[in-house]
Amino acid sequence: MSVYTGSKRSRGNPEYVVARVRSRRSMLYDESDYRKLVRMGTGEIARFMEDSEYEAEMNALGTRFAGVDLIEYAIERNLAKHFEDILGWSEGRIYDFVARYLRKFDAWNVKTVIRGIYSGADAESIETDLIRAGEIDEETLAQLTGADSIERVVEILADTIYGPPLEAAYEDYERTDLLVPLENAVDRAFYEALIEDLPAKSSANRPTELYIEFLETEIDFRNLRNAIRVAHDASTIDPTEYAIAGGRLFDVDDLTRLGEDREALIDHVRESSYGTRIETALGHLESGDRIEFENALDAALLEQADRLSNRYPVSVCPILAYILAKEREVENIRAIARGREAGMSDAEIERRVIL
Amino acid sequence: MIPETAMLLQEGAPILNDAGAAAIAVGLSALAAGYAERGIGSAAIGAIAEDDDLFVNGLILTVIPETLVILVLVVVFLVLFI
Repeated sequence: MSVYTGSKRSRGNPEYVVARVRSRRSMLYDESDYRKLVRMGTGEIARFMEDSEYEAEMNALGTRFAGVDLIEYAIERNLAKHFEDILGWSEGRIYDFVARYLRKFDAWNVKTVIRGIYSGADAESIETDLIRAGEIDEETLAQLTGADSIERVVEILADTIYGPPLEAAYEDYERTDLLVPLENAVDRAFYEALIEDLPAKSSANRPTELYIEFLETEIDFRNLRNAIRVAHDASTIDPTEYAIAGGRLFDVDDLTRLGEDREALIDHVRESSYGTRIETALGHLESGDRIEFENALDAALLEQADRLSNRYPVSVCPILAYILAKEREVENIRAIARGREAGMSDAEIERRVIL
Repeated sequence: MIPETAMLLQEGAPILNDAGAAAIAVGLSALAAGYAERGIGSAAIGAIAEDDDLFVNGLILTVIPETLVILVLVVVFLVLFI
């Protein structure tokens, strides 16, 4: 995969990709669809999906799976298909930007494999949880799922960006027998590669600047979420261990200072440039509702992506906004299907749907 | 230098006559139209790839910058023939 090399690469074909992506975005489920879905049983959800975007996947998988499994495999396959499409259309700089962002799924896959091995799941069930939308190729993924120990996973990944950080974290893992250091290493490797050798914001042109701005927001929100989680669990984990560099909201000192003190943390965020945008999320946090807080934070990130894509329609921003919206849809459908299976009430499920 | 041009210059006549200026105007406007159509065209093809019904809309939007060339043609006719 190529890496951004400044002006040497062509500017890519944002017009083409954005036109296609916008058209696909209009096919996502809207509020009224969700209202219907929330009231359906898993069989009905599957039938509803068969009549929409997910027809091909539902038909392909329908004979092998049923119920929640069918829904989950279908949405994941569909997600991977769409994201691969986007990569296929993109050229030049747009390709770089999209590919960088989609490595998110590599991080997800690596974490899934590690978790699977840790919990003693068999290769087949790990494999079904993978999302094939990232950079790691099919062959390596097969090796990963076939690995019998976490040490072996670290070895297989040695040549990728996750290799060195995982190796370093492996010692911690052996000592503590906790997955946290490993997962954290993967996340950090992803985020570091995400902002690696992007041009400085001051010297970048407008679309690149917006891209950087979006990534910064994402990193800030991730940091905020982690900080809240750490504060909530009141554990002995050092909050700075979690901090991802590159955001605007926190630096390491802030995190050490604010990690313990939730009130101060909320005040710090409220005074930052994000204050008004994530006011709802902060409100939920103050009333102690962490699920609502995280949902509202996700919604705020999507809103931010939409705002950026309206401000500069011919850039990578609408593409990122679509990727986010699609992910959101997949998460929503999964939440509804799982909630239904677990016998939650309609209201409870509705609470988990992010609009 | 081409002998005739040199002669024209010596005589103090303009290097570009009316027809030549008109040709340059048309050429430049066509170039501009082409550049504008590049972006619109690729967006239109993208939209049509997703939804065939957008073919007519895409076609219309793509040729709108052609009006630049038509405007210039009007100017050319005004200058040359009136």
